[in-house]
Amino acid sequence: MTRASTAWAIFQGLLIEALPFLLLGVAIAGIARWLVPQSAWVRRLPRNAVLAPIVGALLGFALPACECGNVPVARRLLASGAPLGTGFGFLFAAPVLNPIVLASTWAAFPDKTWLLWARPLGAFLIALALSMLLGLLAESRLLAPALLEERRLTQPLSRVGLLERGSGLVGGSAPVPERPTSVERLRPGELLGHSTREFLNLLTLLVLGSALAAVVQTWLPRSWLLALGSAPTLSVIALMLLALVLSVCSSVDAFLALGFAAQVTPGALLAFLLLGPVVDLKLAGLFTVLLTPRAIGITAVAASLLVLLIGQWVNFLQL
Amino acid sequence: MSLLQRLRRSPWLTPLALGLWGWLLLWSRLSGRLDLLLNAAFHAVVTVAGAVLMLLALIQLRGARRRRGGPVPLGVLLSLGVALLMLAFPPAPSFSDLAANRQDSLPEAPQLSFFLPPEQRTLTEWVRLLRSQPDPDLHAGDPLQISGFVLARPGEPAQLARLTVRCCLADATPAGLPVDWPEGSDPVPDQWLEIKGTMTVQDRNGVPTNVVKPASIKVIPRPERPLEP
Repeated sequence: MTRASTAWAIFQGLLIEALPFLLLGVAIAGIARWLVPQSAWVRRLPRNAVLAPIVGALLGFALPACECGNVPVARRLLASGAPLGTGFGFLFAAPVLNPIVLASTWAAFPDKTWLLWARPLGAFLIALALSMLLGLLAESRLLAPALLEERRLTQPLSRVGLLERGSGLVGGSAPVPERPTSVERLRPGELLGHSTREFLNLLTLLVLGSALAAVVQTWLPRSWLLALGSAPTLSVIALMLLALVLSVCSSVDAFLALGFAAQVTPGALLAFLLLGPVVDLKLAGLFTVLLTPRAIGITAVAASLLVLLIGQWVNFLQL
Repeated sequence: MSLLQRLRRSPWLTPLALGLWGWLLLWSRLSGRLDLLLNAAFHAVVTVAGAVLMLLALIQLRGARRRRGGPVPLGVLLSLGVALLMLAFPPAPSFSDLAANRQDSLPEAPQLSFFLPPEQRTLTEWVRLLRSQPDPDLHAGDPLQISGFVLARPGEPAQLARLTVRCCLADATPAGLPVDWPEGSDPVPDQWLEIKGTMTVQDRNGVPTNVVKPASIKVIPRPERPLEP
């Protein structure tokens, strides 16, 4: 019973702390949708496989929020027809490549100058690699069905496969008509309704993710993970698992890492700071509004492998 | 049409859900619940979010009568239920249970700090000081007055401890001091105590260690702000 009440308190802490950032993310996504007509700016984004995620990653500087707030913005980007690379680059890199997170990392580790460039660089490389990897999948296998539907409404028909359109002429030589590129600006009332529904949907998923994180971290002794801290490879894996379970916001995770920085290898420390903003239990539910379960699985496995490699490399170089 | 379907089609459901979550956040601030869950740096953000949600609920309420649409997703009902549960059952964590599951890896002080005279130091300041100046003899005989909860870890003597939090309870880290409990005393886990006494040096497992020697022990209620940054 004591454990259950502790888990209940951790759940409330996680949820109440994350909720304002989710609201902020939905608000920014809504404002962006209202201020800038969809197709106008999306058409200017580069579609190159390398440039698109770079642009997405750099967009993080415009949204100083943690990973919970980034999900609705990334969804809005993709729903508006932005290149997949831009959406994913933003989703995976922006939780680290933003002024608040960089400042908090510097404040927590002013003496570890290598961490101040290794963290943003690592986040950037992971975002680039994940964006390119996910780009190999067909959109129908990659994006959540509701998002796919919404995205197709803003895509020129020439970019949608014949079988995916649901209707069309077979064998005709007539040019494929484009959808109208100018989208009318939503009225404030409609926009508020859309944003409210989006917030409540995401909130449900945040509730589920927070519950999962609270249960796992109450019943899984943290000492089991940190006990592995001294061995190079095991320490990286242990801190990756810790990041997965803790589900703490990227804006404060550096201060938390400070607590055990002396007990773990440098690679493990970096792994903790890199993996949490991309994959954690609290995010598991939120990602379902963007990706199919298969794509979420691929993201989790690929991100973990990349972080493990980076952690190993840092330990090897003894930074 | 079943009750659930009618409920999901109700135009009042969305403003109700928004209002309930908004009220939960505001109430958490007003009732002091946030002091038990989050670092104080986040309190203002939570309060603003609560006020914004309440405002959104009022706006949605105005147009609810005219609104027609499909059923609200089942998840909204779930989140509404969770908000009600959170209002009905406030958090009552066992700090001792929480801390027993975590290592003493106390973060550094959030800003440059100068240590106060011994009798004015909090328990957390004592722990930080002892970590930065590990020679136990430096502090032998210093008077102290500290408060904290009894932390009972299996197989270890009970300590007096506080929890430090950077974000929320999920990252709470214990800071504990060993106590030379008087003969016959039986410290109860989670009980909040105020101890006046002196800092001594005792041999614990062959290592000279700073141990609190109580002159008086008083049971106190849990402080309004039990978490430290």
